[in-house]
Amino acid sequence: MRMAVSLILGLVLALGMAGAAPAGEFPAKEVQIIIPWAPGGATDLVFRALAASTSKYLGKAVVVVNKAGGAGAVGYTEAMQARPDGYTLVTAATPLTILPHQATTAFTYASFDPVINVVQDPAMFQVRADAAWKALPEFLEYAKKNPGMITVGNSGAGGGVHLIALAFQMAAGVKFNHIPFSGGGPSITALLGGHVHAVSCSPPEGIAHVKAGKLRIIALFSEKRFDAFPDVPVVREQGVNFSMGQWRGLAAPKGTPPEVIQTLHDAFKKGMEDPAFVKNAADMTVNLAYAGPAEFGKMMAADHERYAKLVAEIKKQ
Amino acid sequence: MDSLGYLVSGFGVATTMQNLFYCLAGAVVGTLVGILPGLGPIAGIALLIPATFSLNATSAIIMLAGIYYGAMYGGSTTSILINVPGETASVMTCIDGYQMARKGRAGPALAICAIGSFLAGSLAILGLVFLAPPLADAALAFGPPEFFSLMVFGFVVLSNVTGGSLLKSLMMAVLGLIIGTIGLDPVSGNPRFTFGQVSLLGGIEFVAVAIGLFGIAEVLDNAEKPDEVLEQRVLVPRFRELYPTLRDLKESLGASLRGTGLGFGIGLVPGPAPVLATYASYMLEKRIAKHPEQFGQGAIQGVAGPESANNAACQSAFIPLFVLGIPFAPPTAILLGALLIHGVNPGPNMIAEHPDLFWGVVASMYIGNTILLLLNLPFVPLFANILRIPKKILLPLVMLFCLTGMYSVNNFMVDLWIMLGCGALGYLMRKWAYEGAPLLLALVLGPRLEVAFRQSLMISHGGFGIFVERPVSLVFLLATGGFLLLPLFRKVARSLGRRAATVS
Repeated sequence: MRMAVSLILGLVLALGMAGAAPAGEFPAKEVQIIIPWAPGGATDLVFRALAASTSKYLGKAVVVVNKAGGAGAVGYTEAMQARPDGYTLVTAATPLTILPHQATTAFTYASFDPVINVVQDPAMFQVRADAAWKALPEFLEYAKKNPGMITVGNSGAGGGVHLIALAFQMAAGVKFNHIPFSGGGPSITALLGGHVHAVSCSPPEGIAHVKAGKLRIIALFSEKRFDAFPDVPVVREQGVNFSMGQWRGLAAPKGTPPEVIQTLHDAFKKGMEDPAFVKNAADMTVNLAYAGPAEFGKMMAADHERYAKLVAEIKKQ
Repeated sequence: MDSLGYLVSGFGVATTMQNLFYCLAGAVVGTLVGILPGLGPIAGIALLIPATFSLNATSAIIMLAGIYYGAMYGGSTTSILINVPGETASVMTCIDGYQMARKGRAGPALAICAIGSFLAGSLAILGLVFLAPPLADAALAFGPPEFFSLMVFGFVVLSNVTGGSLLKSLMMAVLGLIIGTIGLDPVSGNPRFTFGQVSLLGGIEFVAVAIGLFGIAEVLDNAEKPDEVLEQRVLVPRFRELYPTLRDLKESLGASLRGTGLGFGIGLVPGPAPVLATYASYMLEKRIAKHPEQFGQGAIQGVAGPESANNAACQSAFIPLFVLGIPFAPPTAILLGALLIHGVNPGPNMIAEHPDLFWGVVASMYIGNTILLLLNLPFVPLFANILRIPKKILLPLVMLFCLTGMYSVNNFMVDLWIMLGCGALGYLMRKWAYEGAPLLLALVLGPRLEVAFRQSLMISHGGFGIFVERPVSLVFLLATGGFLLLPLFRKVARSLGRRAATVS
């Protein structure tokens, strides 16, 4: 009996060791990406496509697992607690640097090691095509004369585009009336129906309507002009020193060996450059923007500071 | 006439071998995810999106759309057989469907669901073909104030949907409202009632509450029965009784048609349209029924109406998606993602830019609905036979299905605890005759009501006038007032009549 028990124990131990593959042979099994949101959202779609195109460069399958709940906090908490061996990654997106300021979370961006940034979505204000304001100066002039009268929809209280709209009004020295909606879709619907004056959003939200001539981009917050609309100037060209966008990349639990991160980074970079993925991204009007681990880490740190101030600002209201 | 011509070419697209196959695949998968408790169309569509990467956009959307409306067919099965809503739009079907099954009429109930769904699906597609653009524009007229007033109207009209004690119904509705406030505040983003628990930041999952209150409570309720009862089979249907009689069909036809109309209209309003459509249809059928006392005891209209309504709502939900590029209901949000990944960015120009896709998908819906009817009717005897399993074996299986089904929604353990807690709550509610339906309705409507209310006041800078200044909003508020005062008027009229009688 005792023999049997020790035999089983030994077997279990041996299996456990086999599970923890020796370093140097990374990857020995499939790599899992935790997405802290429900399937079907923008982050989910981008990283499912990236996972499909990266598998062949990594030599092992890349599997996507959705762990929704707690506005993303559940997935990040679980990823933070995963073994830092490179087999569990998480999609690091803007909310990672916002959530810790809104609620008491176990994690911040510093609980993770950056791997790669994949997407940088430009944020923008859209208005109806029949709006009186044809360009940014008129829009801001009206806003200055009528503080709080321009209603600006966003995709959710404390979400990325809400905070970006707040940051923009501070930079431009005006005051808008911010109306939160439950998602980008509902905010665009309200704009089309004329229930709000403008909407703060990120592509692909509203882009089809801009192309159809129903909506107009009145303020674009990216560094460079947007490929799809080369005629639309960014706000920096029009005298407002401001740019802000939302990024989506990959991170690993803190303490993942640097050489493993390097292997992952190289594979995902090739996956990003894969023609099939490039086409997928273009079809979704997703703006690919590569950044390596060091640079991505700096982006997260900078936004963490920035959002701390902005969240404090809305909590005052 | 134009539409007809396009539709004919759409059938050309939809009837290629490849597209027929994907339509069938979508219908089958949809039926399956509908049957499994917890796993609904949202998860089903999302999980199959990667499988469509290599397909062309039309085939992909034909299959994924099939999953959505297929789930509406499958959802009723577990509601009827074991009182577990297969997906959220089948909550109302539990009430009379399960009672029918207990009386040995599971077969007719299942068949009526399939027939009603087919009728609703086919008629609603006609609406989609001929009315899509004007209806989509009308939907845009609904801003926050209109939405608020509509929700108030829905809330007041539907909260006592199952009858019984009005006081108890209102208490349950308030409990639902309270549960709905858990999570991040929709305006400030501050956590509310989460007690520092990260897992509660996203709010309470509706599916967990629904399965707990109905399915788990049912199991608990049965578990305390004496052994002899548990040895019994629920029923042993005879073959003749598996399909509806002519009288059943006659009784349910009107309910199906009314449910179709209601569902089609409600599907155009942003929000959880199929769920609301089933509540509204049930309420309407009960109001106009010759024998309203049969509702809750196994009235076939109470099954036919809501099941038709959720199918119609699911078809008309494609209108805002295809015409505006905006998803009003969560499953269509996932379909939007699928369209994007296939390089189609739906918007006002979509029908003109991708006629093959739009008309092909619409035509495939006719084919899909026919496939679903043919698929579901032969399975009625098979499903009805599940009830031959003795209860002491069936009930643990139900529990297992509920647990695995719930976990599959979000892969999230806390959902399971919430479901079990709601099961215990549902058990107590049964003991003291409280209804679960008003609680679920409040849980769906509450957060949306709050957001619309606060959005409206933010737009008006705090002025309440916004609700009466806008005509559509005013109409809904007046209708709500009328509905509340109606019983009072009746009473006054009756007492006046009596007085007149005594005087003469």
